[in-house]
Amino acid sequence: MRSVRIIARRELTQYFTSPIAYLVAFAILMLTGWQFNVDLARRVGTLPPDGAAVLGAFGFFTVFFAPLLTMRLFAEEAREGTLELMLTMPVRDSDIVLGKFIGAWLYFSAILALTLVYQGIWLAITTARAYELRPELDIGPVISAYMGIWLFGGATLAIGMLFSAITENQIVAGYLSMSALFILWLGDFSGSVIQNRALAQAVRTLSLQAHYSTSFLIGVIRFEDVVFFVGLIVAMLFITTRVVESRRWRG
Amino acid sequence: MIEVHNLTKRYGRFVALDRISFRAHQGEIVGFLGPNGAGKTTTMRILSGYMPPTDGAAKVAGLDVFEDSLEVRRRVGYLPETVPLYRDMTTRGYLKFVAELRGTPHPKQRADEALERVGMQDRARSLIRSLSKGMRQRVGLAQAIVHDPQVLILDEPTIGLDPHQVQDLRALIRELGRTRTVLLSTHILSEAEQLCDRIVIIDRGHIVAQDTPDRLRETLFQGGRLFVRVDGDTPQAVARVLGRVRGVEKVETPRDGEYIVRARAGQDVRAALAETVVEHGWALLELRPWATTLEEIFLELTSRMDATHASKAPKRKGRGYA
Repeated sequence: MRSVRIIARRELTQYFTSPIAYLVAFAILMLTGWQFNVDLARRVGTLPPDGAAVLGAFGFFTVFFAPLLTMRLFAEEAREGTLELMLTMPVRDSDIVLGKFIGAWLYFSAILALTLVYQGIWLAITTARAYELRPELDIGPVISAYMGIWLFGGATLAIGMLFSAITENQIVAGYLSMSALFILWLGDFSGSVIQNRALAQAVRTLSLQAHYSTSFLIGVIRFEDVVFFVGLIVAMLFITTRVVESRRWRG
Repeated sequence: MIEVHNLTKRYGRFVALDRISFRAHQGEIVGFLGPNGAGKTTTMRILSGYMPPTDGAAKVAGLDVFEDSLEVRRRVGYLPETVPLYRDMTTRGYLKFVAELRGTPHPKQRADEALERVGMQDRARSLIRSLSKGMRQRVGLAQAIVHDPQVLILDEPTIGLDPHQVQDLRALIRELGRTRTVLLSTHILSEAEQLCDRIVIIDRGHIVAQDTPDRLRETLFQGGRLFVRVDGDTPQAVARVLGRVRGVEKVETPRDGEYIVRARAGQDVRAALAETVVEHGWALLELRPWATTLEEIFLELTSRMDATHASKAPKRKGRGYA
């Protein structure tokens, strides 16, 4: 566990020294900020405030931005030769994988935490006497939405990291994970392309969005959705560990 | 400290290492000498715990590199061929990270000590990306010694350095080798001669020879061919005259004015050769044992090995010497 912590800390620091991480943070804040503004203008005086609205968009953006955060995790180390160093340290392969994942997840959490400013604005204008905007912000769905997006983000990062371990090329890793995540996101709309109802449902159950947009985001915390995301993360970390291990045998 | 017994590594059908065995004791610097693709890096990767062998056993400090991989890795300092550096970290930050992962107590202090050891304390705060090639190499070495390991494995540590840096690095390695076991690979013969207590020559996955530098040279010389450069008559005439010198078995003429003289076993024909050349009024430009450059040593040793293994090994087309 000690080595996991050391590796996670290095990864996290790495994000704060790399331009791409700042660009991702910047882009996500721009897009969600714009989204928030539009939503705010539309609701004032006509609809109840919805703190989770901005997180719906955040989820979709994550599909594209998570790969940018994860593509370098293993691909860069393999290319620079530092993976050989990591693999000759007295550290288990699973510790390396877990450490890197936690580092990435922590950075994702930091970006996510920035969006709390929108909730702050909601709270300020719905409870401040001067505006008298009723009803007040419902905190429940906001909390569940944050839980959901956090797990959702973890799953997308775990998937992205797997692709980074498969190839030495960051661009390829980024592109593949982006495609995979996009397909998993679109799986939610399987009903409109697949005629067979059972099959469509099965595909939808495997999609990322189905476990997020129609549950956490609307204030429902279901056990099965939590299990889905946690299970996905565990499975991805396991496969990534195996892929990293296979490097030893391939030479 | 290092015991390798019948170590074999196959990549698919390609045999990178074929039953090699050697030992390295404490306080000994052992040089791994061989052309590119001979199996040096593969051996080092196995000993550092990076990859498991296909067959055979390798032990470091009495521990099996596969069974007790983590324990072995704790005791080994490893500098791979491509120096593993995180370009966006400072040298001190990088060394501290390595020391922490290695589980060394007082990582910060150890990082500073390692930096001092390689003479880089003034660049502790520099980003690694801003360092020159020689400095990076030194940081790489600092990384390998930061946890004060008993065994040091250095894969071509002096490659790409300028002569001054090479001298400094060799001095450092020599000092480190006083108390530790050092296994280093190189394809520069003079480096192996200067640095190592023992040289293991490896070619195409086989150990061709292993001995102290002095004895290795002696063995080579005894079996020996001489390289002679003479300015005088036509090559045919010179070769004929040299061939008549007492004790000479055979004379080859690889190039105009250059002759390779093979003496009968146990005979030193140098004096006689020199005398003959002078007698004929020719200029003796060079006279030395033929196998003094690495290329020649390989040709010499591997041609002998091919002769002994001719029946077993399949014939190879062409030789890719670097």
